[in-house]
Amino acid sequence: MEPQTLIDYTRSLDCIHCGLCLRTCPTYQLTGAEPSSPRGRIHLMRAVAEGDIEADAAFREEMDFCLLCRHCESVCPSGVEFGALMEHTRAGLAPQTAIGRLARKLGFKLLESRTQLRLVAAALRLLQVTRLARLIAPLLGERGSALTKLPAVGPSSERRPLPEESPAEGAEPVALLEGCVMPELLGEVNRATLRVLNDAGHSVSVPSSQPTCCGSLQAHNGELERARALAKETIAAFEESDGVPIVTNSAGCGSHMKEYPNLFAEEPEWRERAERFSARVRDLSEVLSPRERSSASSAAVQEPITYDDPCHLCHGQGVREEPRALLDATGLERVELSESESCCGSAGIYSALRPKDAERILEGKLEALRSSGARTLVTANPGCQLQWQAGIQEHGMEVEVLHLAELLDRAQPDVS
Amino acid sequence: MDSGFLRALEQVVGPEGLTTDSTRRRAYECDGLALVRRVPDLVLAPLDTSQARECMRLLREEGLAVIPRGAGTGLAGGATPHEGGVVFKTSRMRRVLEVSERDRFARVEAGVVNVDLTSACSHHGLRYAPDPSSQQACTIGGNVANNSGGPHCFRYGATTRSILGLTVITAEGEVMELGGPEPDPEGLDLVGCFVGCEGMLGVATEVTCRLIPAPETTETLLALFPSLDGACEAVTELIAENLEPSAIEILDRLTIEAVEASVLAAGYPDEADAVLLIDIDGLAEEVRATAQDVGEIARAHGAFEIRTATDAKERARLWAGRKGAFGAMGRIAPDLYVADVVVPRTKLKEVVLATTEICQARGLKLSNVFHAGDGNLHPNISYDRRDEVEVARVLEAGTEIMKACVAVGGSLSGEHGIGLEKRDEMHRVFSEADLDAMLRVRAAWDPDERMNPGKAIPVRGCMEIKTKPLPVPSGGSS
Repeated sequence: MEPQTLIDYTRSLDCIHCGLCLRTCPTYQLTGAEPSSPRGRIHLMRAVAEGDIEADAAFREEMDFCLLCRHCESVCPSGVEFGALMEHTRAGLAPQTAIGRLARKLGFKLLESRTQLRLVAAALRLLQVTRLARLIAPLLGERGSALTKLPAVGPSSERRPLPEESPAEGAEPVALLEGCVMPELLGEVNRATLRVLNDAGHSVSVPSSQPTCCGSLQAHNGELERARALAKETIAAFEESDGVPIVTNSAGCGSHMKEYPNLFAEEPEWRERAERFSARVRDLSEVLSPRERSSASSAAVQEPITYDDPCHLCHGQGVREEPRALLDATGLERVELSESESCCGSAGIYSALRPKDAERILEGKLEALRSSGARTLVTANPGCQLQWQAGIQEHGMEVEVLHLAELLDRAQPDVS
Repeated sequence: MDSGFLRALEQVVGPEGLTTDSTRRRAYECDGLALVRRVPDLVLAPLDTSQARECMRLLREEGLAVIPRGAGTGLAGGATPHEGGVVFKTSRMRRVLEVSERDRFARVEAGVVNVDLTSACSHHGLRYAPDPSSQQACTIGGNVANNSGGPHCFRYGATTRSILGLTVITAEGEVMELGGPEPDPEGLDLVGCFVGCEGMLGVATEVTCRLIPAPETTETLLALFPSLDGACEAVTELIAENLEPSAIEILDRLTIEAVEASVLAAGYPDEADAVLLIDIDGLAEEVRATAQDVGEIARAHGAFEIRTATDAKERARLWAGRKGAFGAMGRIAPDLYVADVVVPRTKLKEVVLATTEICQARGLKLSNVFHAGDGNLHPNISYDRRDEVEVARVLEAGTEIMKACVAVGGSLSGEHGIGLEKRDEMHRVFSEADLDAMLRVRAAWDPDERMNPGKAIPVRGCMEIKTKPLPVPSGGSS
């Protein structure tokens, strides 16, 4: 590919090389290396575009090493759209390694088919129940560790899809994005989401025509064509419920769907439909309003609790206060987690593709969790939830990981 | 480079401490001054003092030039390997070794980020005073090398006032312990000599910093002026009246617009042509009285409104906006030339006017954001380094601004160091004999001139001071 089209050159010029992003970058924190920082990566991108260097293996490695957490965007005074820059570059790069290519192809195909996801979930459950997973994992090498780190897959009753319509009264109706891995691995989170929305008076519709995946993982990993196709399907599915908010309990999906219009620079008609769609997208925490919740029923939650900001909620969507306000209204004691806005290492499929790096990044977060003294960790994104659960289990810590929806579900609204 | 030599280095620093491939080395071709670039031959990142010493010994045997680097946020090209050589960076040496609450000092490795030192001592009710605008990224080692400043240096002094001791590796690979936690060690003040050496005397690997008690009260004022002139005059009078806020900063219209368009939007007013951002700290009563005096003086010079930050959050926002101003100028053009000159504070208005004229005459876009209390001006010129004609005009304007400052009794550098950017202007303030003396000091530490060669002291030949312009930006070699 020509260097000029490989790099979004115009966007790369937004960087003024001040370096204020350095300290926020998880990979710079690990290495102290300029090429593993946002500023350094942009510098290399610009060098490729200007013909000073080739997009060689070292270049691809630095691009792949990035978690796309977008923490740098939150501190960039110059307004560099780093996420978009990186997605553009990745789209142009051939995947780094054969195994990465395979993982992507297989992984993405899987994510796009509900039938296949169900089959895999069922197979995984079988492996887990029979403890075969532990035997097979070592045979798969470094990436096999992902197999043992996945949470226990529930019985099929927990994995059934949400009903298409769940009526309630008192608040505006909403449409819900079901998500790809959510129903299979974290079905209870989806059900908790449905209950807290219903409890708050929102009728919830779950359009059956929504594709299995919103396309965010494809976009982050350079599969922009597939991402566009999935975005179109998603947009069309939710046009039936025009006007009502589209709610997601996954920060990664929310952030991506709020930016759908960026995918359609060259398709004005779709761009317009994407803009209408994106204006309706809300994170769960943006539609619920803080309500007093009974402390009696909150006995099901170990205190103190703490909240870890998912990158694609705080950096991607600028949502920081809403989840905290909802948590504080429960009356549960909450402590702040230091560096709560730094990435946990999950980063979509990153933790599966680069398990060692993901683990190193999580180590700092686990240390922060330890010193916070929290007994319950709350997050608002499925990837983060899985990553935290795996790390906490591995380190033998006694901290429960809950999705915001699960916590709110346990601390029922005070009806008195 | 000889593979045996590289293997020996790798044995010391491990694979993560050594960068040899040309793509990654490219990322080190410049610091915050991206105008001058050259790819280093090698990048070394030791983890601690003992690794640093071993590396330096190996480098000495090869006779290689060494370019110390912290986070690469310098604005004068001090960390640019413009003659090739080995970039020696401290960014992996970032442990806070000790915070002594009772004796009020902290000992840190050189790669600790300025703001991380601040947070490490804040639990103890203490603070490290120097706060360069890049404090979110810049390292203590880099601050030492450049004797960095920052807004609050108006009251608390630049970095040199806050450094008690240093562990230094010399070009010969020797470890030297200079000074220490006790306030006034006997003998020659070698710490004072080292601070501000711009990497020419050695590499500091550990730094003992003076901490001061956090003030009881801090108040942040924002005075809104209809013109930049009025704001400058107000500062001149504040100084003349011996008022001592802890920081006095000026931001002009263009800077405010850029900051307010950014993620660091702080609520700077759109109705003012210039604002004064002032911190006053100390005992509550003293703060109240000073704030009142400051307000009166500001109004007398045309301030039409004085705002007071209501809480710590708003104060933090105002300061984050100020400190992100350089980065925010990326919204105007891809590059920014940040001049860093100092003038007597009675001449602020005059010199600011002169810089405006210098830039206007060349059709350049100028913004102003500076440490007014210190008389430390930062005329900022937005440009695009790909436009050679514009680059030439920017450099010419930079020189003219320096001349104007020197003409009224000012100096070339407030806090960024001389580096490459101002090296060839040194003859404007120093005589031949002065420059020779500097070289002799340097030779005492580094007889072979391998440490950061070609920086800060002009290259002279045949008794003639060469005033060649900055090297034309090149693609660099690898």
